[in-house]
Amino acid sequence: MNIVTNFLKVPYRAGAIVLSIGTLLVILIAAVITLPGFLAPENLSNLLAQSTVLVISALGQTFVILTGGLDVSVGSIISVTTTIMTLDLPEVVRVFLCIAVAVAFGLANGYGVARLNVHPIIMTLATMGIGQGLALIILPIPGGRVPDWLSASVAGSVGPVPNSLFWLIAASLAAAWLLYRRPFGLYLFASGGNDFNARMNGVPVERTVIKAYVLSALFACAAGMFLAGRLASGDPKGGATFGIESVTAAALGGVHLAGGIGSILGTVVGAAILGIVNNVMNLANVSAFLQSVVKGLLLLALVVSQRRKTIGL
Amino acid sequence: MSMLVEMVGINKSFGATRVLSDVRFSLERGSVHALMGENGAGKSTLMRILAGVYQPTTGSVRLRGEDVSFKSPKEARLAGVSTVFQEFTLIPNLTVAENMFLGHEPRRKDGSIDSAEVVRRSRELLADVFPQLDATAIVDTLTVAQQQAVEIAKGLTSNADIFIFDEPTAALNSTDVAHLFKVIRDLKAQGKAVVYISHRMNEVFELCDVITVMKDGGWVKTAKAEDFNLHSLVATMVGRELQNFFPPRSQETGEPMLEVSGLKLHDGGASVAFSVRKGEIIGLAGLEGQGQREIMRSVVGVETARAVTVRRRAGGSAMSAVNVTSGFPNAIAAGIGFIPEDRKQEGLFLRLPIYDNIALGKQLNRNMASVAWRSVSKVREIIKSLRVAAADPGAPVGKLSGGNQQKVLLGRWLLSGVDILVIEEPTRGVDVGAKAEIYRLLRDFSDRGGAVIVSSREHAELIGLCDNILVVHDRKIVGQMPAADATEESILGTALGSSSAEDPRAVVH
Repeated sequence: MNIVTNFLKVPYRAGAIVLSIGTLLVILIAAVITLPGFLAPENLSNLLAQSTVLVISALGQTFVILTGGLDVSVGSIISVTTTIMTLDLPEVVRVFLCIAVAVAFGLANGYGVARLNVHPIIMTLATMGIGQGLALIILPIPGGRVPDWLSASVAGSVGPVPNSLFWLIAASLAAAWLLYRRPFGLYLFASGGNDFNARMNGVPVERTVIKAYVLSALFACAAGMFLAGRLASGDPKGGATFGIESVTAAALGGVHLAGGIGSILGTVVGAAILGIVNNVMNLANVSAFLQSVVKGLLLLALVVSQRRKTIGL
Repeated sequence: MSMLVEMVGINKSFGATRVLSDVRFSLERGSVHALMGENGAGKSTLMRILAGVYQPTTGSVRLRGEDVSFKSPKEARLAGVSTVFQEFTLIPNLTVAENMFLGHEPRRKDGSIDSAEVVRRSRELLADVFPQLDATAIVDTLTVAQQQAVEIAKGLTSNADIFIFDEPTAALNSTDVAHLFKVIRDLKAQGKAVVYISHRMNEVFELCDVITVMKDGGWVKTAKAEDFNLHSLVATMVGRELQNFFPPRSQETGEPMLEVSGLKLHDGGASVAFSVRKGEIIGLAGLEGQGQREIMRSVVGVETARAVTVRRRAGGSAMSAVNVTSGFPNAIAAGIGFIPEDRKQEGLFLRLPIYDNIALGKQLNRNMASVAWRSVSKVREIIKSLRVAAADPGAPVGKLSGGNQQKVLLGRWLLSGVDILVIEEPTRGVDVGAKAEIYRLLRDFSDRGGAVIVSSREHAELIGLCDNILVVHDRKIVGQMPAADATEESILGTALGSSSAEDPRAVVH
């Protein structure tokens, strides 16, 4: 009984997750029926590798969106991470430098939004510019070498299971643990639901918001590591599209941009929808321009068909 | 008996504005203490100091004999002060249990929240007081009365011994009020102290042991409830005797101004029909949520009914149809105004000046491409005639008291020149002095040849204000009576008599 009622109540705070899962299934079935190459092992592992950066960055983005904010600097942090991994420094130092840079960006975003009341888009637009510039200063053109262990951890496989799946699962579990197992998760939903009332109840709203931006940056850092390993080199513009795509993925997964509604499963499903649509259209030789139109329409269709309900008393 | 709370010499200023000066207040165990005063008298500010939302500029707060100074509402709650604010402090996307324990959740050893324990303890606490409330329900899906129950239950989680209720009955219907009173009496019987803020006199006399009156940020009088009567209490609050709380009813009413017929709120439902005459004020009464709101809103086209025909007098004696199904603008064009219950959200533009809020009445009838209507003197005239307590039309409406905000809304429709007014809860959150003024303004409107439709949860208000009362139950009109002959009992009897199978208690939580 408890399990049933809990299951019925989860969708409320998770948003239109049933709709997202349904869409994913429809797209999957359509892809399997119409494209014979879709289920080929090499395509599946390719699809997985392509989607992993998106999933990891969208998971981080979910924390920020749950507060009612937005983090467009995610893409720049991914790019910076790939370039730092090519620096001529001891490998351990490169890793720590990546993490330090990500934390610095996250703290700056969070502090600006929570304490200085800068609008999230303006705040992260500014750090997006800074991050992009920094990446180009470190590595003006794509290239360089990343540590071999990083490439190996991305490219290899354990038996038939590609390593990228482990990255994906690890990131999802970490995000789920933070959101559902830590007090931070409850405070995140509370702050996004009604920040004034959350404060009245003793929820540390500012600290929660800052943590959300730091986590978003750290997940972007992990996504950047994966991308660097996959390219086996650095790319100062390699992450550029993920700032927006991570938001798209979350929105496709039923995360409300107004805050307070969303789920980890939803974001993973949303990112999967986007990844599979990309993959399918590539397989079917759809032009890149048309792909963009299709993705835009898909986003509109899914978001419009969600039951619009403004939360708030 | 020792004093549980003693507040002495409390002063509070916001910037240069002094809102409390030298206020004293004390609270005994096992008593219900009413805090009375007009809006702006400082009651809420005083209670927010006790609840830790504000800190006093000077003065001392003693709790159980010890000096305390709460820096946050959380500190106050943990020290045993629980507040049910007028605006709830719930988080809409959390469950009842999560809301109850927010900020002090039971933890597991690893620091994570023990959700099972949160639900278990919530159920335990709710079982005594609100057995019908589901601990795992999402707060956003609850009714106002249930949300209030959650607010009260939050106090139980911290084992509070002081409960502050700030206008708890403003949004409740009479059965929910009865249950709330029972809860408050139980708290009192357990030796807890209750502070009760309300504008409803009968509630205060029914419930409270001690009454403290405040006026203009200062303490006026504290005495046992039985030492006051209705007149002396009102006189103490406003500092003068109130004459003629309700204006006299209309002497004669003219031809019908507005006819509503065939109004169906849902498929297969009974159809509702009524009419309002020139110079008449009619009231829609009944238990809360029986369709009054939907009927009012369908008549002006703010909500869409399944079917409705609205006809109004169009000069001479001819009636012409108003196409309300395609929206409120048609009603406005036909000279019908609407004042919603939630004036802050639905009626006013809080950050805009009084001027713009009133001048909107003129803009509404004009072509989109026409030049905006502008006449400061006209708006000033309206402000003056309504006696809005703000000389400057440039002041933002959000700064005004509830009563003055309501006058601004009235002013908008007076300027627009409507002669039919549909108004929900005309005096919700309005203090005693301003209530009487609003009644007078509505009566003036009808006396000048207008027609008014009112709905209200306070049946006493409808009885005093209206000419005729329609009793609504289960989305249909089940009775009609002249207001002069109506009593609160006869209204309730008519409402419930219509469906004796329904137990009124079923409405409670």
